[in-house]
Amino acid sequence: MDMECFVENIVTDKQVTSDIKELIPDAGLRRRMSRILKSAVMTAIECAGGTDGIDGIDAIITATGLGCLSDSERFLRNMIADSEQLLNPAPFIQSTFNTAGGQIAMLRHNHCYNVTYVNRDCGFEDALLDALMRMADSQSRRVLVGAFDEQTPSQYRIMERMGFWRHGTCREGSVFTTLTAMPTDSAIAELSCMDFLSGPITEENCMKSYSGGDDAVLLTNDMEDVGLFPVVPARLFAEGVRKIAEGAERVIIYDRHGGDRQTVMVLKCIGH
Amino acid sequence: MEQLIQELKEHLIEELNLEEIAPEDIDAEAPLFGDGLGLDSIDALEIILILEKFYGIKLKNSAEAKPIFYSVKTLAEYIMQNRK
Repeated sequence: MDMECFVENIVTDKQVTSDIKELIPDAGLRRRMSRILKSAVMTAIECAGGTDGIDGIDAIITATGLGCLSDSERFLRNMIADSEQLLNPAPFIQSTFNTAGGQIAMLRHNHCYNVTYVNRDCGFEDALLDALMRMADSQSRRVLVGAFDEQTPSQYRIMERMGFWRHGTCREGSVFTTLTAMPTDSAIAELSCMDFLSGPITEENCMKSYSGGDDAVLLTNDMEDVGLFPVVPARLFAEGVRKIAEGAERVIIYDRHGGDRQTVMVLKCIGH
Repeated sequence: MEQLIQELKEHLIEELNLEEIAPEDIDAEAPLFGDGLGLDSIDALEIILILEKFYGIKLKNSAEAKPIFYSVKTLAEYIMQNRK
């Protein structure tokens, strides 16, 4: 697909070192946030370069597999315990999939395009594609794209009984990236290609088709990364950007376990 | 009364996720909304649930809520008069 954008910053939850009280000073906002919401919002703020950085964002696009799961569980447990009579509003409000995107926007009253993709582990790629299309169409110039998901004990047990963890590990966390339509001084990499394949290809063919004659690095997700969470390809994307920052000319990211489809993303160093 | 006030403070902290506040930080006579604790309309709904869940009190008329919800003390007084 002939669309491109530039990666200005990318942050994973593991890289967030600031105190939550510094990033989200409003105690009223903070107290209703569950663990995953705090993680997603803090990662987004760090990625945007602080709360003020959200002002310059003209689209917030998030992806999640199961959303704010602990809030959903709390709401359902209350519903059962109180025989559907006394339902607390907070867990219901917070349990929706687009809560993280909404909270990020509300921090600075940013009323820009705000969409959440919930499409198993393909959500991050869908969010990236949306960002690319908006920038190609000149509807956005600086987009915040992120993926987040949390593991809860009950979800872990249910998926364990379904055999999900027999070959893999349960993944959780948050990854956010800021993308720009034009290269900025702080641009790290160029996302030069995004392809959705109808069937799997060999790593050799992938390299042949997408290396463009460069000394390319191929990144794929392993069997153990199979899951429901878009955080998995988002982490792979972050790893690709890190490799470009460390000097790689071109990184080919091949997400071969995205449900019914495979995705290839090509990252290039700036000006190459 | 003092015991009820203490119990109410604990319910408010637990149900409203006031995780950075201890019972002794809450002034029983200070306003719950606006200044004071700074609660909002979602918290008001949670307080209605506290009254019903822990004290069996159902507010019949929402217009009467304002003076009752003024402070922890006014809430406790209302509970004393109406609890089942």
